[in-house]
Amino acid sequence: MLYGDGLSALLVCLSCLLGFCVHLYACAGDDQRGPFFHPLFMFQIMGINGAFLTGDIFNLFVFFEILLIASYSLMVHGGGKAKIQANVHYVFLNLIGSALFLFALGTLYGATGTLNMADMAQRVALLDAEQQLIAKAGALLLLAVFGLKAAMVPVHFWLPKTYASATAPVAALFAIMTKVGLYSIWRVHGAIFGDYAGELANVAQPWLWPIGLATIALGVIAALASQSLRTLISNLVIVSVGTLLITIYVHQLDATRAGVYYLIHSTLSCAAMFLLAGVFVSLRGKAEDRLVSAKPMPRAGLLGSLFALLAIALIGMPPLSGFVGKALILQSIQQPELQLWAWSAILIGGLAALIGLSRAGTTLFWNTSGDHPEASTIHPLQITAILLLVISLPLMVVFGGVLTELSDTAAQHLHRALEVETLLEASQW
Amino acid sequence: MEAVFAACVGFMSACGIFLMLRGHTFTLVIGLTLLSYAVNLFLFASGGLKIGAPDVLGASNDYADPLPQALVLTAIVIGFAMTAFAVILAMRGRSDSGNDHVDGKEPNLEWKEPR
Amino acid sequence: MYYFWVPFLVLAGIFVPLLTRSLSRSHSAMATAVLPALALILVVLDLPLVLEGNSFSQSYDWIPALQLSLSFRLDGLSSLFAMLILGIGLLVILYARYYLSANDSFSRFYCFLMMFMSAMLGIVMSNNLLQLWFFWELTSISSFLLIAFWTHRSDARRGARMALTVTGAGGLALLAGIVLLGQIGGSYQFDELLAQADVIKQHQMYPWILGLFLLGAFTKSAQFPFHFWLPHAMAAPTPVSAYLHSATMVKAGIFLLARFYPLFAGTELWFITVSLTGLFTLLLGAYMALFKHDLKGLLAYSTISHLGLITLLLGLNTRLAAIAAVFHIMNHAIFKASLFMAAGIIDHESGSRDMRKLNGLYRYMPITATLAIVAALSMAGVPLLNGFLSKEMFFAETLEQSILGSLSWLIPVLATIAGALSVAYSARFIHDVFFNGEPKGLSRTPHEPPRYMRVPVEVLVALCLLVGIVPGYTVGPILDAASLAVLAQPLPYFSLAIWHGFNVPLLMSAVAIAGGLVVYANRALLFRFQSQFEEVDAKEYFETTILSLTEKARALNQRLENGSFQRYAFLLVIFALVLFGAPLLKLADATGSQGVRELNGAVIVGAVLMLAGSLATVIWSHYRLIALLMLSLVGLVVSISFAYFSAPDLALTQLSVEIVTVILLLLALYFLPQETPATRTRPIIFVRDFGIASLLGCVIGGICYALITRPTDSISHFFIENAKSGGGGTNVVNVILVDFRGFDTLGEITVLGIAALGIFKLIAGMRLSARNRDGAGRLWAKERYPMLLAVVSQSLLPLSLLISAYIFIRGHNLPGGGFIAGLVTSIALILQYLANGVEWMGQRLKLTYLYLVASGLAIALLTGLGSWLFDRPFLTSWFDYFYWPWVGKFELASAIAFDLGVYLTVIGATLLILANLGKLTTAERLTDGDQ
Repeated sequence: MLYGDGLSALLVCLSCLLGFCVHLYACAGDDQRGPFFHPLFMFQIMGINGAFLTGDIFNLFVFFEILLIASYSLMVHGGGKAKIQANVHYVFLNLIGSALFLFALGTLYGATGTLNMADMAQRVALLDAEQQLIAKAGALLLLAVFGLKAAMVPVHFWLPKTYASATAPVAALFAIMTKVGLYSIWRVHGAIFGDYAGELANVAQPWLWPIGLATIALGVIAALASQSLRTLISNLVIVSVGTLLITIYVHQLDATRAGVYYLIHSTLSCAAMFLLAGVFVSLRGKAEDRLVSAKPMPRAGLLGSLFALLAIALIGMPPLSGFVGKALILQSIQQPELQLWAWSAILIGGLAALIGLSRAGTTLFWNTSGDHPEASTIHPLQITAILLLVISLPLMVVFGGVLTELSDTAAQHLHRALEVETLLEASQW
Repeated sequence: MEAVFAACVGFMSACGIFLMLRGHTFTLVIGLTLLSYAVNLFLFASGGLKIGAPDVLGASNDYADPLPQALVLTAIVIGFAMTAFAVILAMRGRSDSGNDHVDGKEPNLEWKEPR
Repeated sequence: MYYFWVPFLVLAGIFVPLLTRSLSRSHSAMATAVLPALALILVVLDLPLVLEGNSFSQSYDWIPALQLSLSFRLDGLSSLFAMLILGIGLLVILYARYYLSANDSFSRFYCFLMMFMSAMLGIVMSNNLLQLWFFWELTSISSFLLIAFWTHRSDARRGARMALTVTGAGGLALLAGIVLLGQIGGSYQFDELLAQADVIKQHQMYPWILGLFLLGAFTKSAQFPFHFWLPHAMAAPTPVSAYLHSATMVKAGIFLLARFYPLFAGTELWFITVSLTGLFTLLLGAYMALFKHDLKGLLAYSTISHLGLITLLLGLNTRLAAIAAVFHIMNHAIFKASLFMAAGIIDHESGSRDMRKLNGLYRYMPITATLAIVAALSMAGVPLLNGFLSKEMFFAETLEQSILGSLSWLIPVLATIAGALSVAYSARFIHDVFFNGEPKGLSRTPHEPPRYMRVPVEVLVALCLLVGIVPGYTVGPILDAASLAVLAQPLPYFSLAIWHGFNVPLLMSAVAIAGGLVVYANRALLFRFQSQFEEVDAKEYFETTILSLTEKARALNQRLENGSFQRYAFLLVIFALVLFGAPLLKLADATGSQGVRELNGAVIVGAVLMLAGSLATVIWSHYRLIALLMLSLVGLVVSISFAYFSAPDLALTQLSVEIVTVILLLLALYFLPQETPATRTRPIIFVRDFGIASLLGCVIGGICYALITRPTDSISHFFIENAKSGGGGTNVVNVILVDFRGFDTLGEITVLGIAALGIFKLIAGMRLSARNRDGAGRLWAKERYPMLLAVVSQSLLPLSLLISAYIFIRGHNLPGGGFIAGLVTSIALILQYLANGVEWMGQRLKLTYLYLVASGLAIALLTGLGSWLFDRPFLTSWFDYFYWPWVGKFELASAIAFDLGVYLTVIGATLLILANLGKLTTAERLTDGDQ
């Protein structure tokens, strides 16, 4: 049973845009490094889009499994010990996660008697006290499961190694995977167990606040500690997860809107940076993307400009989309008791990104040793793909008015979707 | 009877989880399989337990909840796919790193039995 | 009104140097200068209206959700700043044309410069605060690029990084301040906020807002304790220093203070913080400047000192102080830019900036020397020059203020001391460089620069003189207008005259000049005194701080993220336990209303087997084969219990999956160590895992118990009622799978298919060694393919295929279905593989399993899509009853096609996995056989 509203539609567009660009990049040769790249890639996107579009919670599990098994397989694309090793951790942790998912679903079904999200949203408010407790246990266990996919503290440790060792297009596609987990938290804990869930309203909120802050804090520490570009970006992904968790915690229309915008921005910019890091890896020989002095790269001007633009976006500085997202989020947090912590965390996250990325950039481009670079080996498709993603970032600012309106619609749909009948009507069997 | 059933599910889960916290991939796969048995029983039981009431129209007057059964079927298939992938991944890990420890290397700081 | 276009004109100018890169340097420079010149003309055209004391603003919506609008404002202050930015910017373009060497990329330099110029214009002309911040951060970025222009130099890289980090951090604080201000004032429009200045000053968050704004301003304007980045930004090419570090970038912070003066000033907090920071910076900068041997280093610290002076003025609680501040902003920009340019000329034509080498240059470059001397005198505050006028006003205001209560007299005294120091370093600049003997150890003979390189300095020095001699005619009107914008109230009377009669400020000036000369004369003493202190290199200090920060982060991170799966899994399990278990603590009674049923023998036997099997699996988990056997025992009991609890479909599925899984695990075990290595886990870890697993087991068991003792008001009756009418089958479970929840089934076979692909991928790169002997050195088997097995399996094959067909067909109405049928077929085929080997099968079964998977998925998908043809939702099944002669009435449902897809996918995926794995073993066995 599929169900699409403003939020789903926006996110599906995002995943398709991302998928297109990343696929373009992969066609430059990365797809030839192992069998079945293309079908697996498409299955992965199928899983992601399915997860965004489903209106049934067990169906969500199935789509999760599709995207997971596809990601397990894509993870080993290109081979190599590091990939396999990271994948072992990734796979087994997620297998535990899947088992927990099913426990949670069983609990929720047992308590509410339904799996349809809209139906469940209506039923949770009517449960008796004991069933509420059981449903609450199921809902919170789901938070742990989604938290694992979203890479929230304390279950985020799998992410840096996994993302940093994956082949560039795979890592770039993974940039949206944490967002699937966050989306699910939005859908399940923000909507089913949202404002209209009676006694069970906002069950996850008390947990999200400390977890969000801790995620940013640990992400910042790990970002400062990063010794390669890809690890750095991975840790910035974790920081962005923490930031989004805070917007989910705040759970107001403004905050959700800000979160949606920020989610789009962070997905695109992280993905583009992963692709760019892939180019660096192929150009810098043994140094790969480690932050050490190495031979200069060909076409440093072009690559350097792309890096600088993406760094600006990731830090959240103007003129690229990062600053809009960040300012929207800051703006949406209006309770003084939250402001001190949330603002400090978000701003310190930006500062850590600034320190990390300026160090990375100056090392990669300016701290070079040795002779002139070898002849250029950058495939035009790779540059095109990165350019497409990079260009989307200033466009997100120039057309920020339109995009924030779309995000606003998405947020409104999320907030009211489950109180109105439309979803039930849409979900006729 | 319900208590015994629940105890079995809980015990199997505990065994599975304990095995999944160990350090070698094959043990993890065994633990995973055990855990998924428990999961399947749990999910199956979430609709209530009935004896002699298969979900075939006309076979009896009472029907067990068919939906959890359908869910468990899906879960079994997915679990099979996952187990298969995991076990092959374990083999691949062994082939790449020479051992089947989950971290790719046998930890050298591991506790030795005091003499 | 033309001002709206000013920032855009310059912004467009970014592309001019890039487009004209093929032209000669002079032409490119000229082309680059066109747009800023045009912009300057526009500002001047608007000047008459501004001078009347008006302010204008224009807004267009940009991102309404953010309240960010495209909004520019023109008043006296922004007009003054715009003229400084554009005027000095044009001079810098000309100057840089001669300064940069042929190796430097002109287009890149001009491009960054124009980017910076437009960002600066954006700051001073913004009416929307978020837009102001937008440009504020752009100046940080473009100044980073400009400072690091000579990227090959490590000091430039590090200096740029430091500047970016400090100003970037300040920018973040400023953003927080702006958003906070916007939340309180309800708008980001400056003019709207201005109207509620009193409300804001009264608000309880005012101290926070002020603190955050000041952080932004002080980092940008290099005020103590954030001053350290500025001297290291001197690694930039001199045109950049002349522009950024005299007139623009560092003045952005001052501009912020001036712009928000009417909004924030007037409180105790403002006066104390701003004035004391300014005072301290003024003294520190002046003192440090004295000891710099590097020309630009001296100028950098002098800049810090003068910025401190302006800050101090903005923090004094007298009405004229702000006017004096505006005046000094202007004067400092003019004389400091010319001094930087002169220093650049000296560097350019003599090859050094070290004042210990540079002596007596007056003989070699008299014109430049004269210009520099005049500018330096202005910096020292000597009469008839512009620096004197504002310094005189400054002294006068220090006498008027009363911010420190009874200690207020300290400020004029310290101001005079700072004045003396400033005279001393100016004297050093003049005397050491242009007189005082002969140059020592220069690489080349100094000479006058190219004609046009000197022009910018000449223009600026002429301005120093003009303003210094006839201030009323030259800057009087714009000063009035700008001051009006700062004070936002009618201006008090003030006079720009050079001569105010004999008064205390004049005396202070005289004391400062005399004192400064005395200090300079006795500088050897001072140098000796200063040499006792270890010099702190801010850059080193900053680098070590950042380095130790990253080191600490790294150490901490290594402890947290230690790469151990067991830790990560433990965290996941405990996280789940806490979340899952916490609500149960409140559950008073686990037993629900439905109560419990009696135990019977069958259940007891099953439970005992299950428990014992699980326990045995754990206990013997080191002996993998035994663990596997125990595991399959548990699996068997599980499938029996499904059958017992009215789920025949599940029992069949579980059983067949069980068989395939065990075959798979056995095959895998062939390649893996037969026993888990004997290294023991640390007891504490063991106990920890044991404890947490038991706890989670208890929680799961508890919830399971709570669920099965409660009635569920589920939606299942819907399925039971509609299975026949809506899905056309009597086996409700199967109908749910292929119809009501077809999506899940489509998903599940997709997962299976993907798994097969992924496994293929994994196997493709695998190199494994397997033994063909057991621990005792005996061969695994004497015969590779036992005859008996081959014969039996072959005769069983048709039978099993028949059974699977039967299961498949009856699936819709009775337990069975595509999935189970597929597994049965697969098992039958695997048996053939086992009995006869991969090659034997390869010759007989010419099937590519990959295509089987693909066609299975395609059939399932197309069946689902087919319902679109009939205008029904995806995966709606269709069925009808037909009558065939001989066969009788029978039902045909589209679900059969869907089930066929399932069937094919299952066979394809299972065999793809197992046959590929089998191939590996065969290859191994063959090589072993050869040995």
